[in-house]
Amino acid sequence: MSEIVIDNVGKVFGEGGGRPFLAIDGVDLRVEDREVISVVGPSGCGKTTLMRMVAGLEHPTSGEVRVGGKRVTGPGPDRAVVFQQFALFPWKTVRENITFGMRSRGATKAERDAAVAHYLTLMKMEGTEDKYPHQLSGGMQQRVAIARSYATDPGVLLMDEPFGALDAQTRTIMQEELVRLTNDNPRTVMFITHSVEEAVYLADRVVVMARNPGRIREIIDVATTRKAEKWSEEPIDDVMEMPSFTHLRGQVWRLLREQMGSDI
Amino acid sequence: MAEATTGRRPGVRFMSRSRLTGLLTVATVIALWFLLTSVTGLVGEFRFPSPPDFLAAFARLASTGYAGGTLLEQALQSLRLVAIGFAAAIAVGVPLGFVMGYDRRAEAFFNPIFLVLRPIPPLAWIPLAIVWLGLGDASKVLVIFVAAFVPSVINTYTGVRNVQRTLIEAALVHGAGQGRLIREVYLPDAAPMIFTGLRLSLQASWTTLVAAELVGAFLGMGRVLSTAYRDINTAMILVSMVCIAVLGAITMMILARVERSVIRWRKT
Ligand SMILES: Nc1ncnc2c1ncn2[C@@H]1O[C@H](COP(=O)(O)OP(=O)(O)O)[C@@H](O)[C@H]1O
Ligand SMILES: [Mg+2]
Repeated sequence: MSEIVIDNVGKVFGEGGGRPFLAIDGVDLRVEDREVISVVGPSGCGKTTLMRMVAGLEHPTSGEVRVGGKRVTGPGPDRAVVFQQFALFPWKTVRENITFGMRSRGATKAERDAAVAHYLTLMKMEGTEDKYPHQLSGGMQQRVAIARSYATDPGVLLMDEPFGALDAQTRTIMQEELVRLTNDNPRTVMFITHSVEEAVYLADRVVVMARNPGRIREIIDVATTRKAEKWSEEPIDDVMEMPSFTHLRGQVWRLLREQMGSDI
Repeated sequence: MAEATTGRRPGVRFMSRSRLTGLLTVATVIALWFLLTSVTGLVGEFRFPSPPDFLAAFARLASTGYAGGTLLEQALQSLRLVAIGFAAAIAVGVPLGFVMGYDRRAEAFFNPIFLVLRPIPPLAWIPLAIVWLGLGDASKVLVIFVAAFVPSVINTYTGVRNVQRTLIEAALVHGAGQGRLIREVYLPDAAPMIFTGLRLSLQASWTTLVAAELVGAFLGMGRVLSTAYRDINTAMILVSMVCIAVLGAITMMILARVERSVIRWRKT
């Protein structure tokens, strides 16, 4: 079981020296096992910080994060992260990058080869397995980073604006692949994005955050509507034109716009 | 693993432009050298040898020998000491630098020692080394060790300190343990800096060896140089200088080859 429990978590940066800065204040959130949530909010509201605390890369100043009932004290392969800046290993080939996490859990050579072939075909990157990251475009690098985390097959997948650098077409392919993956092999997903469409399309619930200090503004349920309207049986473009979809999208939009106003 | 042979293939230009320029420069210098010495006699032979004198001195060193040995014996002696001193220095220096960069406590412990030792010029160790160990091989190896040790430690340390945080995090969230973290993230990311350290160490090895041999030695290229100086044999002085330069260049080229085969992922 890989449910995420964020229990009254606060995060203050720069407590040691300098001026302390309250980045996250009293966040309570429970992500059920195999649930997909997306997180949206104005830039600087603490989305990345929140995700890093779940990953174990940052420690809460108050409260605690539990994954599968265990308190998070550091990173682990049960929670793979797709970083916003790719973070591919420059000295590893595409193949070696994709299989990095698989090797941690002792996947056989045959399994690794199969995974490399699967993801490269899926991402239309056949023939690149022996290339180094610097020989790839930004979009291709991001796809490899995504494949690395998918292939690790973690209970929890944490993704920080993972489709940001992709062109529209690849983006759609990766979104559909994420839906397919989470259907075939369900896992808990926390997905940060600045695209409201993407947030509503992918998630069971959309978490809308606010800033100064970073906190949860509202949580919007999508799963009920998705099931009722059978979104998963339609292509992505058609879903995005359904009234049930545009209604939810409008709801998230209003919550975000309300905050833009409070900026001034 | 040997890389694919880079032999000349049809369609590849015989000589690159920069190579050609380099050859032209060398040819010009030699022509000028002839002109100033043999042809016009503007520079007297006691100040600078003519090309024929140079070749004669070289032939003498190579065949009958000079200052106690032939060129081969003298060169091998120097090469051997550089190899031993350099190898010992990096065998201790690179791991030490790594530990200092990797572990805060090791850093806190060793850094003060370096702050004291670093400002001492390596050549300043020569008298002490000779007093301790005499004029034989041991004192030279010690001096090379001291000189080559510092750059390999400092650069490895810097390289490891500056390993990219996001790559360490990427390895951790994909399940890498300490061993894989060191082998697959720290070492490759620090490798360019480590090799910079090795290059500086190798250079320092030659500098200090020649200096130590000049001060006192039974055999070696520095001994050839100091003997030629006492004999006021400018041709032989030049021959030994050129030989030292060539030996140094050969060892640097070997190191560069090793670096290229280790760091294969780099751009260009
Ligand atoms: N390591 C850090 N030290 C100090 N401040 C930080 C650090 N990381 C993030 N912050 C601050 O915390 C706030 C939230 O950052 P972040 O989580 O990256 O926001 P988001 O991902 O929503 O754009 C920002 O104001 C940012 O400047
Ligand atoms: Mg962010």
